Amino acid sequence: MKDRLGEFLIEKGLFITAISSVVIILLIIVFIFSEGLPAMESYGFLNFIFGSTWDPSSGQYGILPMIVGSMGITLLALIFSVPLSLLCAIFMAEIAPKTVRKIMKPVIETLAGIPSVVYGFFGLIVLVPLMRTYFGGTGFSMLTASIILTVMILPTIVSVSEDSIRSVPSEYKEASLALGATHWQTIKNVIFPAAVPGVITAIILGMGRAIGETLAVIMVAGNVAQFPSSIMDPVRALTSNIALEMGYATGMHYSALFATAIVLFMLIMILLVIANYFHYKKKINVGGGYL
Amino acid sequence: MNSKYIILILAVLVIISAYMFTPKGNYETLQIAGSTSVQPVVEKLVDKFQETHPNVHINVQGGGSGLGIRTVNQGIVQIGMSSEQLAPEDTTGLTAYQIGKDGIVIAVNNANPVNNLTTDELREIFSGNITNWNQLGGPNEEIHVIVRESGSGTMQSFQNLVMGQTKIEKNAIVQSSTESVKQAVKQDPGAIGFISLVNLDSNVKALKVNRVYPSQDTISNGSYTLQRPFTLLVKGQPEGITREFIDWVLSPEGQAIVKQTKVVPVNATT
Amino acid sequence: MPYRIETRDLNVYFNEVHILNDINMKIPKNAVTSLIGPSGCGKSTFIRTLNRMNDLIEGFKKKGDVLLDGEDIYDPNVDVVELRKKIGMVFQKANPFPKSIFDNVAYGLRIHGIADKDKLEKKVEKSLKAAALWDEVKHKLDKSAMGLSGGQQQRLCIARTIAVSPEVILMDEPCSALDPISTTKIEDLIHKLKKDYTIIIVTHNMQQATRVSKYTSFFLNGEIVESGPTEKLFMEPEDKRTEDYITGRFG
Repeated sequence: MKDRLGEFLIEKGLFITAISSVVIILLIIVFIFSEGLPAMESYGFLNFIFGSTWDPSSGQYGILPMIVGSMGITLLALIFSVPLSLLCAIFMAEIAPKTVRKIMKPVIETLAGIPSVVYGFFGLIVLVPLMRTYFGGTGFSMLTASIILTVMILPTIVSVSEDSIRSVPSEYKEASLALGATHWQTIKNVIFPAAVPGVITAIILGMGRAIGETLAVIMVAGNVAQFPSSIMDPVRALTSNIALEMGYATGMHYSALFATAIVLFMLIMILLVIANYFHYKKKINVGGGYL
Repeated sequence: MNSKYIILILAVLVIISAYMFTPKGNYETLQIAGSTSVQPVVEKLVDKFQETHPNVHINVQGGGSGLGIRTVNQGIVQIGMSSEQLAPEDTTGLTAYQIGKDGIVIAVNNANPVNNLTTDELREIFSGNITNWNQLGGPNEEIHVIVRESGSGTMQSFQNLVMGQTKIEKNAIVQSSTESVKQAVKQDPGAIGFISLVNLDSNVKALKVNRVYPSQDTISNGSYTLQRPFTLLVKGQPEGITREFIDWVLSPEGQAIVKQTKVVPVNATT
Repeated sequence: MPYRIETRDLNVYFNEVHILNDINMKIPKNAVTSLIGPSGCGKSTFIRTLNRMNDLIEGFKKKGDVLLDGEDIYDPNVDVVELRKKIGMVFQKANPFPKSIFDNVAYGLRIHGIADKDKLEKKVEKSLKAAALWDEVKHKLDKSAMGLSGGQQQRLCIARTIAVSPEVILMDEPCSALDPISTTKIEDLIHKLKKDYTIIIVTHNMQQATRVSKYTSFFLNGEIVESGPTEKLFMEPEDKRTEDYITGRFG
């Protein structure tokens, strides 16, 4: 009888802890929407999303430049980091000798643990001057921000995709090698394709981190709320916009920053849906089974 | 096994009761929030103040002048800090106490040979009409304008003191703190930015404005025109510990500490 | 009698564990040789040594020689990839790639540089026919191989192996996970293949050994107890342990 009660309490306790995170997320969403929707309504949803001027002092709240900025930085960071981290993951999972892997794994995991302010500071002190010397301009740019983000999301993509490559059944590898395939042919044609769903998850996680990163981006992106004409131009990300002005904003401006958060939230949701769709589609193509 | 539990329970009880029986009544709390430019000065003052008032808990938070004004109005904090020239409508229902004056320093790279700019030239530079240092007698080097985020007290003051109705060019790089403005200027021979006199050090070069070099003296006597008041704001009339703190800050003892932080004390001007 | 594969004093270790002990064996050409013995006796390790599959396993060490047509396959000059092309392998668990049926069979051909579509199609059809699978899958070649039944998957693996025209096929308990009908189909297939290929099959099932193989070797604790023509080994075993095993007294 006593055991039953214990069991009951543990089950309910676990349920409460599980449900509390959902409740917290819902509360945050409700809060953001209730604070942000008034601005969207009074300024006009389309004007807000597609407006190209952000100038709170003259009452203009168009965030399209920031949407472009956020997307641009994230996209560039993915373009740099995905090939780099996938090759790294393949090397660690398949090619590296045990000892090398034992050193690399913790090093890459440490990279993930470095606080973003350190990355930002490094970017400001080292990367910005370098960029200015080699590419001209101020050195603060979309490219600079995306290089910093590349390093920041690398460990996430590497470790998650490495895990998924390692979890490909060794039967596939053996079958391919037994047919006279070389190691690289086996990786390219069998192991990697089988790991693709996990790799997509890894990229989603990296993308989420890139689009949500605030501090490091503020420090190196230049934060100009203008459409960039090239990747060498400074940009402002949605996250930076909120963080930069939240402390000072009142009234409509304050609400507009929450509306920015709504847009950011929806942007992330859309990306997640797209990514999950591809994840799911790939899974079906593989034909069920293990993956 | 049982004694272990008993010890654990006793320990928890002792900790809880320690909190419960703390003589709460003897402690007073004072919440201060607002301008990040004023924050370091007030933190220094608070440190000193608490030496003689150990029973007062004082929290000092940043967040910007706007936040200071808002939260003091809402009654969330007892004292708001502002580093802007306040318009009368900003301070309705509030009492303002100026505790000092700060200079807005125009900072350029140490390698920049230009020494002096007029306010008109500054306006032309920051509005994007002058784009190269050679237009100002300097080297052929593109000017990189660095500003603060809109809403920052330093930014507002600069806008009011230099720009007036003219808009700052939209391509200006925005940095989120005085430190990162300094870093950006330190590394870029073409950069120009503005910082508070409090934060001026050898990393950047301060320019004369209208032939006057920024210093405590020139700010104090008014000849350096880019200056702004540091103000503490209280809702209604200050009472109790709030009053005590503000009185102390305005006393010679408090003003001496203000001066140590490179802020120009108000009482020196009178 | 011509021999394809010969081992001389072959010893295999994993780390410090001695798995195979002084294996001397001759595998005749174009015939089926069965390896029988209780679990853990080293049969699988033995055939995985023949196509150097054990190279993948950490801690693998061997002493002695493995000769294919008189040449040492562990010679540093030997190209492992070429060797594995010559010695195909079918695994205990059917392991088709998560690709279409066509791509599974074409896989080996493609990695060996055949890209011509007609050629691929012909070769795939021929291999599937040889593996007695063609009629069952010809209308769904572009469907995933994972949708096939266990027996079909195993025959697909055989088709995949013979598509690259090996000379020797190693089969590691190919029927252990299959139902009797599928098993029969695979055994029929082995009968068909033995004319053209040298086949070595590891099996737990003694009836299967008598049904498919011409020669049989009995492994016990990493050693060969007895080798010989299958009929003789089962009817008049020379060693007492062989007799105990085939009469079911252990194993």
